[in-house]
Amino acid sequence: MSPTMIRGIFDVLSLSSVLILLVIGMAIIVGMMKVFNMCQGELVLLGAVTAFLCGKYLGNLWIGLLLAPIVVGLFGLLLERTIIHRFYVNPQGALLATFAIGLVMRESLRTRMSTQSSPVDAPIQSSITIGGASLPIWRIVIMFVTLLLALAIGFVLIKTNLGMKVRATLDNPDLVSVSGISTKWMYAGTYAFGSALSGFAGAMIVPLQTLYPNLGYDNLILMFIAVMIGGLGQFAGPLAGAALIAVPGAILGQFISPVTGQILVVFLAIIFMRFRPVGIFQGGR
Amino acid sequence: MNKNLFKKGSTRRITAIVASAVALLSGLTFAPAQAAPTVKVGVLTDMTGAFGIVGKSNKAVAEFTINEINKSGGVLGRKLEMVLVDSATDAAVATRVASRLVNQDKVAVVVGGVASFTRVAIRDVIAKRGKTIYIWPASYEGNECSNNVWNTGSAPNQQVDPTVKYLLSQGKKTFYLAGSDYLYPRNILSRVRQVVLAGGGSIVGEEYVPLDMTDPSNLVSKVLASKADALFEVVVLPGTGPFIKGVVDGGFKGTIAGTLFDEGINPIIGKQAEGLIGVQDFYLPVTDPFTKATVARFNKQHPEAAGLFSATFNAPAWYRSIYLWKAAVEKAKSFDTAKVNKAMDSVSLKNSIGGPVSFAPGTKHLNLPMYLGKSNADGSNTIIKSLGKIAPYECAKKQ
Repeated sequence: MSPTMIRGIFDVLSLSSVLILLVIGMAIIVGMMKVFNMCQGELVLLGAVTAFLCGKYLGNLWIGLLLAPIVVGLFGLLLERTIIHRFYVNPQGALLATFAIGLVMRESLRTRMSTQSSPVDAPIQSSITIGGASLPIWRIVIMFVTLLLALAIGFVLIKTNLGMKVRATLDNPDLVSVSGISTKWMYAGTYAFGSALSGFAGAMIVPLQTLYPNLGYDNLILMFIAVMIGGLGQFAGPLAGAALIAVPGAILGQFISPVTGQILVVFLAIIFMRFRPVGIFQGGR
Repeated sequence: MNKNLFKKGSTRRITAIVASAVALLSGLTFAPAQAAPTVKVGVLTDMTGAFGIVGKSNKAVAEFTINEINKSGGVLGRKLEMVLVDSATDAAVATRVASRLVNQDKVAVVVGGVASFTRVAIRDVIAKRGKTIYIWPASYEGNECSNNVWNTGSAPNQQVDPTVKYLLSQGKKTFYLAGSDYLYPRNILSRVRQVVLAGGGSIVGEEYVPLDMTDPSNLVSKVLASKADALFEVVVLPGTGPFIKGVVDGGFKGTIAGTLFDEGINPIIGKQAEGLIGVQDFYLPVTDPFTKATVARFNKQHPEAAGLFSATFNAPAWYRSIYLWKAAVEKAKSFDTAKVNKAMDSVSLKNSIGGPVSFAPGTKHLNLPMYLGKSNADGSNTIIKSLGKIAPYECAKKQ
């Protein structure tokens, strides 16, 4: 294989794993909880900011990777208990409220940054050479972390008692609450967990990009398309949706102009939604 | 308290009549009393939004320059007054505040805009319908030749031609052109193509990415596969950092050049900025006595914007814009738009940041002293060569 081909395959894997990693948190909050969380991008951003600050003041991005999910998770908990829980009965309201939250977060960062964007160095900056192509190790780390994270969460949701309670709560809160489970804290905990995952994704991907206020927002549309294609109501769908738009996007990008590629992918997504509005995995529910 | 009193129509009417009478009288009494009224200079920039950081620099430079002029006696014996408006990185907002400057504040001149979309949005409001001088202080894609509009940043040929010629002289034969998909990169790269082909080089690839593309991996791979001797890149923020990082870390052997590398932008790229080539009208190491003293004074008076005095933030262009307008007013001996507009065409400054400048008659652009620079890993720049004054190929003198 030529270095160009190796690079091409690597790009497909890397671009899809980045999008899947970004979508994991959203798969929980939008996919499972069905909260149209327009501030999901800013949860990613908050994770990136946490990582950036740890890199800047502690000189250690590893600590940032550890702290990002904790900080963003706690923030998510606070958000759910103060604002989000009021909108479970009013999805349109949730759309506006979370959009406003995102706007406030994004713009407050903008007024505090002294540059338009700041570079963040990856904890591992070296590359390995495979067949003549130099491949950054951090992107390889992201691929494995994404795979492990998706499998682990899938396992917890499907195989464990806690996972069953979460799914039951989201499916039929009334039945669950009469069974003696606190749905209030189930919802709050799930939202916090989805936030933590987004924060972690932000910390992981910020070295590939730069820290700038629109970091999350610029990815939001693609993330939402992934969830819509995947279908609401379960966890795996949105991840499959992410792969379904990232893989063709990355392959097309190698042969045609990235601009045309992006337009084409979104166009195909619309066609797909027309013929399968419930998403990939869902039957006639 | 009897609230009914205030609801009575007659009371309100009387109040209104008294108020308008007072307003009328006060206007008549005080207006002629103002001896030498100030002249308003409209300063329009993006204080908020994506270009907020550039606005911070622009505002400080405008304030600094206007203070300097006022201290030395103002313009035609009148002090200048800065009217600052925030265009918020938004064309619609820009149009609104530009119209306020012209119609309400009645400014004598407007200096401003960061991105070209702002210029296009406000140009007619100020210069055409508002019949006010508009100075556009930014390096840009060229072709701005409207009446009453004056360009004080560099035109494409002033940056591109010397950069490409330098690369060709270093034995670079094959070029890859990469940019974001909008007017500025497309125009700059079309000039690059023209100069490369004219100089005997060849273009091995040309590609544009969407403005909001956050991960330009595909483009990085295409550049690496091209094995070009030189990459000319105009991928703008937020893509710049990741793109250059990807190309450098991917083992690109060629030289990377562009129009947007200097002390203002390099910190965003990080240590991969080392070796980037470009041409600007100013770099911090420009040390003619006037430039050195002025920049030092600026940093002292405006600590909030110290470190933001850079060519890509248009700082030198803002400084000379206000002085060029002053020179034109003094030459015309009037603030009248038509007279100032006529005087502008051949006005010059002996002292300016980076060296003397003069409008090239008929071009609406400046003969600008330019510098060929190379970026270092810490974001600073080294001047490879001082190129002297370069003429603009714009408007009447298009080549």
